[in-house]
Amino acid sequence: MARKILFNIFAWMVVLMVAFPLFWMLVTSVKPQFELFRRPPSMLPETVTFEHYWRLLSDTNFLGYFWNSVILSTATTFVVVTIATIGAYSLVRFRYRGRETLAFLVLFTYLLPSVVLILPLYLMLVELGLSNTITSLVIAYTTFALPYALWLLRSFMAGIPEDLESAALVDGATRLGAFKDVILPQLLPGIISTALFTFILSWNEYLYALVLVNSDESRPLTTGVMNMLISSFNIEWSLLMAASVMMSVPLIIVFAFLQSYLTRGFGAGGVKG
Amino acid sequence: MRHIMAKQQQTLLERRYSMLGLFLIAPTVLVFCAVIVYPLISAVYLSLFKIFTPTLEGSWVGLDNYRVLLSKGEFWTSLRANLIWTVGTLSLQIIFGVGMALVLHQNIWFRSLARSLILFPYFISTVVAVLVWKWLFNDLYGILNHLMITAGLIDWPIDYLGSMPNAMISVILVGAWKYFPFVVIAVLARLQSIPDQLYEAAKIDGAGPIARFFDITLPQLREVLVVIIMLRAIWDFKEFDLIFLLTGGGPVTSTQTLPLLVYKEAFALNQMGMASAYAVIMMLIMLGFMLVYIRRTRSEES
Amino acid sequence: MKHTSMLSQGISRRGALQGLAAATAVAAMPIRASAQETTIRWWSPQAAPAQVAAYKAQIAAFEAANAGVKVVFETTSDEGYAPQLAAAFSSGEVPDIVTHLPSFAIQTYYANGLVEPFNDVIEAIGADDYYEGANEVFKAADGNYVGTGIGNSAANMLWLRKDLMEGAGISDAPKTWDELRAACQAMQKAGIYGAPLPYGRNSMTTLIFIGVIHQAGGQVFDTDLNVALDTQATRDALEFYASMRELCPPGATNYSWGEAITAFVSGATATGIYTGRVLGNVNAQNPPIADSVTCVTYPTKSADIPTWTFNDFPSVFIPKQSKNIAVAKAFAASLYNPEGYIQQLHAAPGHVLPVLKSINENPKYQSNAIIQKYPAEVELMSQAAAGGFNLGYESAKHPSNDKAGKVVGSGAIADMVQRVVLNGENADQVIGETSKAIEDIMKS
Repeated sequence: MARKILFNIFAWMVVLMVAFPLFWMLVTSVKPQFELFRRPPSMLPETVTFEHYWRLLSDTNFLGYFWNSVILSTATTFVVVTIATIGAYSLVRFRYRGRETLAFLVLFTYLLPSVVLILPLYLMLVELGLSNTITSLVIAYTTFALPYALWLLRSFMAGIPEDLESAALVDGATRLGAFKDVILPQLLPGIISTALFTFILSWNEYLYALVLVNSDESRPLTTGVMNMLISSFNIEWSLLMAASVMMSVPLIIVFAFLQSYLTRGFGAGGVKG
Repeated sequence: MRHIMAKQQQTLLERRYSMLGLFLIAPTVLVFCAVIVYPLISAVYLSLFKIFTPTLEGSWVGLDNYRVLLSKGEFWTSLRANLIWTVGTLSLQIIFGVGMALVLHQNIWFRSLARSLILFPYFISTVVAVLVWKWLFNDLYGILNHLMITAGLIDWPIDYLGSMPNAMISVILVGAWKYFPFVVIAVLARLQSIPDQLYEAAKIDGAGPIARFFDITLPQLREVLVVIIMLRAIWDFKEFDLIFLLTGGGPVTSTQTLPLLVYKEAFALNQMGMASAYAVIMMLIMLGFMLVYIRRTRSEES
Repeated sequence: MKHTSMLSQGISRRGALQGLAAATAVAAMPIRASAQETTIRWWSPQAAPAQVAAYKAQIAAFEAANAGVKVVFETTSDEGYAPQLAAAFSSGEVPDIVTHLPSFAIQTYYANGLVEPFNDVIEAIGADDYYEGANEVFKAADGNYVGTGIGNSAANMLWLRKDLMEGAGISDAPKTWDELRAACQAMQKAGIYGAPLPYGRNSMTTLIFIGVIHQAGGQVFDTDLNVALDTQATRDALEFYASMRELCPPGATNYSWGEAITAFVSGATATGIYTGRVLGNVNAQNPPIADSVTCVTYPTKSADIPTWTFNDFPSVFIPKQSKNIAVAKAFAASLYNPEGYIQQLHAAPGHVLPVLKSINENPKYQSNAIIQKYPAEVELMSQAAAGGFNLGYESAKHPSNDKAGKVVGSGAIADMVQRVVLNGENADQVIGETSKAIEDIMKS
């Protein structure tokens, strides 16, 4: 029993250490400006203020950026998961030439550093008349999200017994009918988990957003907050921390609920390279 | 006769199926061509020119860019920094990730809260992570220096990001903190699917917890670890945001990894051709690593 | 329209990207509707909330006077404008007017045919109204003006706390390095550091250190634009900079503009190095010390070396690819209408200083609370900035250097500082290698 308690205390100490930056972010965001620059810093705020949050919401374009990020990440997730699901289905359950090569090429596309993709991609987007739009970022994010999504879904798909589909086909279902009625429900945990990963990737991206979009109408949170609050004339730590909290909280809430899907993601089919 | 008919029908069906398969993969292929293959080819193409980034006007120089970069000291120091960063942060991620997954697999108090807290660094954006750490590291108002001074560990504030080897260590640690939850997620998932009977059998055989870890857990985790290490190695090797925002490659070029060098060539020096050449070399290095790695792990398996 | 022109230019002019651009152009039709309304885009990295509010007022005034014209303001940043403009220029999707970039950045773009000559706009604003020589820095090799100043800034003023000086028994503001060092040593105590000099790998370190080289009596280029770093002055400058390291906060190795101003304003350092923005920030964020701050030009090695003020020459320019050049020019000129211009200057009082004499004399400009509270400081900064220089224009004898932006962007000078001061490398060797690196940039 004592061992169990000790183990628990140890485990929670580690957990709290990992989460300490989160705690410090929260504390800083409710400290008034004058307390921030006190030395040595105080562990807990003497006066709690929500003025930074208020300023962020009322005086800045934070909500606009937030909304852009929501649209951007949702759209990217939708596009990527849709393409990847049918792509993975095809890669796993159909036989045609070049299938293995294609699967390998997917891995190969990981290797490309994003810095190099940017300019050609940007030129292409401009030619399409999409520069400075959220759509352009959705397309750009597809470049790095799709390979991973495809790869993840492929291993999920491989974990679904082929017999299920065969049985449905014998019962007279069409191939696509079987896909819809048999495969999709089985695949749902995988789809959710892939969607979560994709959402995280696009919610957090910085470099593409920096180069591809330069108007407040379509700028997402990452570059928006940096641009707005870090300038050569002032670094407003309290505002930055308040912004950080508000950027992270929605994700944390969502993932607290969907966490089990995330861990199941790798489990079911086993991970196959 | 009927037999042949049936067979013909079957091949017909098979052909129709493979058509359907090709049709379903078409969007993927299309997207890959448009957003990945095309920029890839243009990267290789651009690397053969000397190009001024803002105008994209250039002149053909053939393989000159490659000759110049391989003879430049900066390439080799960046490659070295890149390797130190990748190996350092990756090992910490794996060790800490596996350890944490083992802990979280146990039945500890408020397990799901603990899990959420552990996964948190992976959710937040790199921008937020960097901001928070810069604030923790701050020389004047940072809590880390304050806590360490109070604890009597140091007399003067430490310069975490501006001097060596501190800068490299800090970057590696922040990288490990940010990305180890990915390892936790994957390993935890695998742990959940290891049948309990295996452990019970080992217990009956008198194996202690350490022996059980090496005899049962680790072999079961092998497959997932192989994949995670490869994925994370690739991602860490080409990490840009985190290092760029934390140190910008400094002090001097101590933490300037290859992606930062590419960025500098492309946008600070406006040498798009040279930047592409660096990128192509980078890709070749990763490709080489990947092939060796895959071969190694395959041959070990068999 | 752009697409056809791009295709018809043929293989001759557009080199490398021609094939790629053509391939994608086929698939592309411009989607943007060709509305009656003209929209012009305005980029600036200077976007503190009060400044943006002033810009909005200027935009509103211009839109009211010009029916059918819409101006969109978009923020860029000091570190981000290079890739963003690179992407914009290469695609042709350029902003129609860009303000507050340092003069040397435009010179580089102009030398590559990306910038519209500005001569007529300067005439429209009134060439005689400028401080004498204010537009010299914008003169290109071909005699045209590449842009004009929208403000002056004195980037390396030495900021002082009179209360701390008194406490340490220092009566006069330091004029030489020795005096500065002694003052910093005397004031450095219990959690207060002497100075927040930047040692980071960024453009602030480069810009400030160029100033230090001049304060040692040296220069980066000679008057024929040959690299002239290998001098005793550069060695002295490095030695001085290294000796100041122990008087700066530990994190100064990563300092840039934001950290440097925050350190002084929050009271963590006894001296500061920054523009006049300090005045506004001190009054807003740390009122208790507001009455004791003052500034002088940064000290030099010895009293016989004249002071050298770094002026970014925040600028206005118009990209050549803009589709609304006439409107952009009219808008650029309208930015100098007294009412809007004064509001813009008041948004960061003492930071952006007027380039027009008539504005400086305008009672409305002088009526600002901060300018009234620190008249001597603001006047000193105006004088220093108007007589200031930067790497694109090191002295009145230097021709403008259109590679200066590249030299700053390469970080070669900041690298030199870091290698000598932080890594303790041999100064002679580092200076030699840095000279070589800058020579390579000049040739490329």
